[in-house]
Amino acid sequence: MVIIIMAWRNIWRNKVRSLIIIGSVALGLIAGLFVLSLYKGIMKDRVNVVIRQEVAHIQVHHPLFKEDYDPQYVITDKEKVREFLVEMDEVAEFATRSIGQGMVATGTGSSGIQIVGVDPEKENIVSQLNSKLIEGSGFDAAKKNQALIGKKLADKMHLKPGSKAILTFTDRESNIVSAAFRVAGIYQTDNAPLDERIVFVRRSDLNILLTVEDDFHEIAILLKDDEGVEGFGTAMQSAFPDVKIETWQELSPETKLMIDTTDQYSYIFITIIMFALSFGIINAMLMAVLERSREIGMLLALGMNRPRVFTMILTETILLTLSGTPLGILISWIIVTFYRNHGLDIATFGGEAMSSFGFSTVIYPEFPWEKMVTEMLIVVSAAFIASLIPALKAIKLQPVEALQK
Amino acid sequence: MKPVIDAHNIKKVYNPDTIPVVAVNNVHLHVEKGEFTALVGPSGSGKTTLLNLIGGLDKPDTGNILINDVDITKLPPNQLIDFRLHNIGFVFQSFNLIPVLSARENVELIMELQHSSKKEIDQRVVNLFRQIGLEEKMNTRPAQLSGGQQQRVAVARALASKPKFILADEPTANLDSKSASNLLDIMAKLNQEENMTFIFSTHDQRVIERARRIITLVDGQIFSDTARVDVNIPHEVG
Repeated sequence: MVIIIMAWRNIWRNKVRSLIIIGSVALGLIAGLFVLSLYKGIMKDRVNVVIRQEVAHIQVHHPLFKEDYDPQYVITDKEKVREFLVEMDEVAEFATRSIGQGMVATGTGSSGIQIVGVDPEKENIVSQLNSKLIEGSGFDAAKKNQALIGKKLADKMHLKPGSKAILTFTDRESNIVSAAFRVAGIYQTDNAPLDERIVFVRRSDLNILLTVEDDFHEIAILLKDDEGVEGFGTAMQSAFPDVKIETWQELSPETKLMIDTTDQYSYIFITIIMFALSFGIINAMLMAVLERSREIGMLLALGMNRPRVFTMILTETILLTLSGTPLGILISWIIVTFYRNHGLDIATFGGEAMSSFGFSTVIYPEFPWEKMVTEMLIVVSAAFIASLIPALKAIKLQPVEALQK
Repeated sequence: MKPVIDAHNIKKVYNPDTIPVVAVNNVHLHVEKGEFTALVGPSGSGKTTLLNLIGGLDKPDTGNILINDVDITKLPPNQLIDFRLHNIGFVFQSFNLIPVLSARENVELIMELQHSSKKEIDQRVVNLFRQIGLEEKMNTRPAQLSGGQQQRVAVARALASKPKFILADEPTANLDSKSASNLLDIMAKLNQEENMTFIFSTHDQRVIERARRIITLVDGQIFSDTARVDVNIPHEVG
């Protein structure tokens, strides 16, 4: 106990030096935690977009459908699947979709697209389709063959609400079908590639052209809770072995990969910061050991063995480093809370690039409480490493020589 | 009676490869339990070196030093540190108290190193401070104590480990007459009442007058070794 008391009080023998180190640790943590918070905010937003605007929690397809999007592969046992989904408490909503691969043509050119036939009311809940509209009034129940196109495609094809476009695709019998659709609205998401590729039409219109009657190719299921997706998917797969069930992680593997790699990058980032800081800590602790070499020599003379001297310097370094930690956490929490409430607009710092990767240009950072244990381990490890040189220097002191200093 | 310290033929040469300085030369020394011994001699005569060798702070080039039958010259460094902790008390010329610890904590530190129980530490520390007459200053930091008081705390610290003997290197050199006298009274009392063995290196006539054995060193060798019986009895400590 006295060793810990001694280590703590030793820190404050040179207040200026210790405060500089504590401040450095706090600043390092602020930088590191803010970046982690940004990463977490970006990833959380991305996952939210993936689930609530793109793929939902779970999708159901015919096992062969996604191989080449052949319209003949509609979901079998569709009524039983529907009944199952209606009965399950976990399900918040689900939307059925018909899908065709084809192209859009106007007077100015053509572009490859995916035509998604939706039930607008359901889709507005599952993928918030109406909230993405930036121009036009959206689907009008009284009108047929209306299409919602993404902003990027609209810009590329010079389309506006009211413009006419020819959609060409193959039907269930592999016949090529063309039909004129009028643009009812232009939508924009944070995922520019999707905006260029997906054209929404009413499912009832598309089904006639695809000759799939009331069948559909996809069910997008939105669960009430983001947790338990895997379990629900597994249970549903057991209940319906003839369809293919995929979770959002499988449907958007790049998002899952990004989350995993971002976690790793963030730890590397913090480690680099702490590694750089450790040089400052080494310097401060070496100074402390050199200034106190007579005292350390005296302790060795009196019978404090070298492992204890090592522990004392180690404890001192860890206490010094950890002293800056609460301050760093507090300040970074305040900064993160401010930006979580107000948003950090990075549109002027490469916002377009962010959007092209499917990220929002306004980031709402989230404080990474769940990473605190790992953060602390990194901080303590850095302190431990930083203490090695001073501690080794201390235990190499010879009492007789040190006492003469 | 077995000697507490039994040193044979010890020799210590500094800078053997450049300009050799023979600090201690073929010294034989026997110290019995309860002795109150002063090592005297001119500067550079080898007093401090001899004290360091006896205390296991330095190793002789030749010879053996047996402390309670343990040859400390053969102990590996870590065992030697442990041996010092349990067998030897040190009082240094410049007190060498830990400035960030209170007087009490300075004494407790040694007992904690010995893994003494909290109860034992509390009892012994109070006793020791009573013996040195500084009960009211137990929680004071060294910087707030006078030189004499600091040296008394250093004596308490040396006693805390219940050593076989205490080595004091010029303990009164930085003290005024009153403080020095007070310190010597405490040491003499401990010597008489608890049969604690003290070995001082000193120039101080006040210490020499109190010593019951005076070993004079000249050029690293024992010039004379005199036992005395007409020493002052300690005054009341306060």
